[in-house]
Amino acid sequence: MSEDATAALSPRSGKSLFRRLASAQESGLLFVIAMIMLGLTIFGGTTQQTVIDQETGQALRGDDGRPVRRDVNTFLNSRNLILLANNASFIAVMAVAMTGVIVTAGIDLSVGSIYALAGIIGAEIINNMPPDSGGLFAAMGLILVACAAGGVLGLANGAMIVGFRLHPFIITLGTMSVYRGITLLLTKGQTVSGLPGAIQPGFFKADFGLGAAHPMNTLIMVLVAVLGWFVLRYTVFGRRVFAVGGNETAAKYAGVPVGRVLILVYTLMGVAAGLAGAMAVGYFGAATSGAGQAYELRVIAGAVIGGASLTGGRGTAFGAVLGTVVIELINNAITILEIDTNYLYVVTGGAIILAAVIDRLKQGLQAR
Amino acid sequence: MHRTLWNTLAAAALVGLAGLSGCNKPADENATKTGGGTGGAAAASYTFGVIAKSQSNPVFQAARTGAFDAAKAIEAEHGVKVNIRWETPSDEDAQAQAQRIGQLTAASVDGITVSCTDAALLTPAINDAVDAGVEVVCFDSDAPNSKRFAYYGIDDVEAGREVMRQLAEAMGGSGVVAILAGNQAAPNLQARVRGVVEEAENFPDISIGYTFYHPETAADAANKVQQEQQANPDITGWAMVGGWPLFTTNALDGVHEVAKVVSVDHLAEELQYVRDGQVQALIGQDCYGWGYETVMMLFNKVHNGESPEQVINTFELQIVNQENVEDFADIWKKWVPNG
Repeated sequence: MSEDATAALSPRSGKSLFRRLASAQESGLLFVIAMIMLGLTIFGGTTQQTVIDQETGQALRGDDGRPVRRDVNTFLNSRNLILLANNASFIAVMAVAMTGVIVTAGIDLSVGSIYALAGIIGAEIINNMPPDSGGLFAAMGLILVACAAGGVLGLANGAMIVGFRLHPFIITLGTMSVYRGITLLLTKGQTVSGLPGAIQPGFFKADFGLGAAHPMNTLIMVLVAVLGWFVLRYTVFGRRVFAVGGNETAAKYAGVPVGRVLILVYTLMGVAAGLAGAMAVGYFGAATSGAGQAYELRVIAGAVIGGASLTGGRGTAFGAVLGTVVIELINNAITILEIDTNYLYVVTGGAIILAAVIDRLKQGLQAR
Repeated sequence: MHRTLWNTLAAAALVGLAGLSGCNKPADENATKTGGGTGGAAAASYTFGVIAKSQSNPVFQAARTGAFDAAKAIEAEHGVKVNIRWETPSDEDAQAQAQRIGQLTAASVDGITVSCTDAALLTPAINDAVDAGVEVVCFDSDAPNSKRFAYYGIDDVEAGREVMRQLAEAMGGSGVVAILAGNQAAPNLQARVRGVVEEAENFPDISIGYTFYHPETAADAANKVQQEQQANPDITGWAMVGGWPLFTTNALDGVHEVAKVVSVDHLAEELQYVRDGQVQALIGQDCYGWGYETVMMLFNKVHNGESPEQVINTFELQIVNQENVEDFADIWKKWVPNG
């Protein structure tokens, strides 16, 4: 939760829990999401969705061989909602960690490159597993290797930022190119495929009895959001992150190990990017050297729309997830309403500007 | 107080929507269709998704025109409405293509026609779509190990061979060839490169000196050609397995003076290079047919239950040179009307 909500949530605030939750910063985003969902439910119309056989995972077919279909709301059906959440999950996982970076008044432009490189390294390693490896075993191997690779790359970012005393924008602008180049050198532009066969049905595309919907990446996203909230809200490290972002000099004189905090923040950013890369490799079944191009903008957009302030000191993990969901909802709206897909760029850019303006206005009001 | 009230309403709306998402009407085969999809009998309308590699490559704009024209032709001839969903990413992005296949599948379109930026990454997405009852056909760049029911495009190996044959003739049978190869991961381009290399073996005095990969934008490709010609003056022939640099003007400054050039694709912009003698031959593809023919295939599949006689459907290559360049000039006015 945000710093503003912290005081409101204090037992001494005198408000009921319900009123405290309802007045929290993220509730505004929830309101926006609810309104968009309501609009899509009403204006999206209905469609005839293929019925999936739960046992075979394939379309049920009638006597004439054609798929059996049923009427569903175009937006409000489990398959579409899970797909929407899954599509948001890759960016949202990174946006949670990016919130921590932005809270320190920093930025990381290399996340898209780390996403690709960590995914490639993870795929290359698990390709050495026996082809009949279990889905869970292969998935855990992929996630661990990709997170470790991402963590090393993030550690390098943090070490250079602290060691060279250069602005994070400069360092991560450089590493964005370096890591992408390493990816291309390792793969020579080729795709890494041929993963253990059970990794998709056994983990990343396990359907939990939902037919053609695969919610595993959504569950991972929720887990990361909870973890991010806990770390920022309840740990000493989290408090130090806000302290550094609020006033780095004051934090330093207060005894906060600023350098170590920053290095850890960027390391965790790398771990999150590695995790997102593993989620993509596991879900799509292959690792490509071109993955994650321009993802840094989408990740930053999710965090900023979620309430993170680019001047530092403000931001929440849940806000980052909700901000990413807003962007994905807009994308879904464009698909459902059959609008030109290029409008997504216009709307996303406008949302970033609007979020930043609102943040500046709020800071101005609070200063009075 | 007002803020709390609005937020309370929002929370209630979200909870209500979440509950409603599990409630769907039972199947009604006679229900009026909205948004595509068929019931038991052949339907009055269909929805097909078209996913090309990128919007920034003009060859795919021709495919778009073809797809929409096919929809009009079907309605005129059969009285069946076909809704075309153009879901091509702005730039080449295999993951974005896979996500769009997923979105179209969730929207229960009747069919998808796709040119694969990366066959390995798109194969699972295509298979999921087919399993969910969506018919899929590939064009331009295939996913041969997927469950797509057909492919429409050129024989890429043969196209590469023809590029080399035309180039060898222009070079007088000797010299050093550089291959401009585009995206290293694209299977269709890999096949064309293979064709160039294989055909070069028939010319003992010609050597393949270089193979260059690059982002598939006109500016990047043009820069690549000019820089590499400067850095490698021994190059006397360019085998371009895609016409990317020729989508701009002056792409061959410093190149055409010292090397012969043959390229795949015959866009309107490229024809001027042939007229000027800077490019010796263009190997044309039926870019319009990528959209037109594949939409027709999808319609025959979902409406009549018929697949093409062959899975792989290739079309004859069109050779454009200074003798016949004007015959091709008007084609692109039809293929890209607003171009």
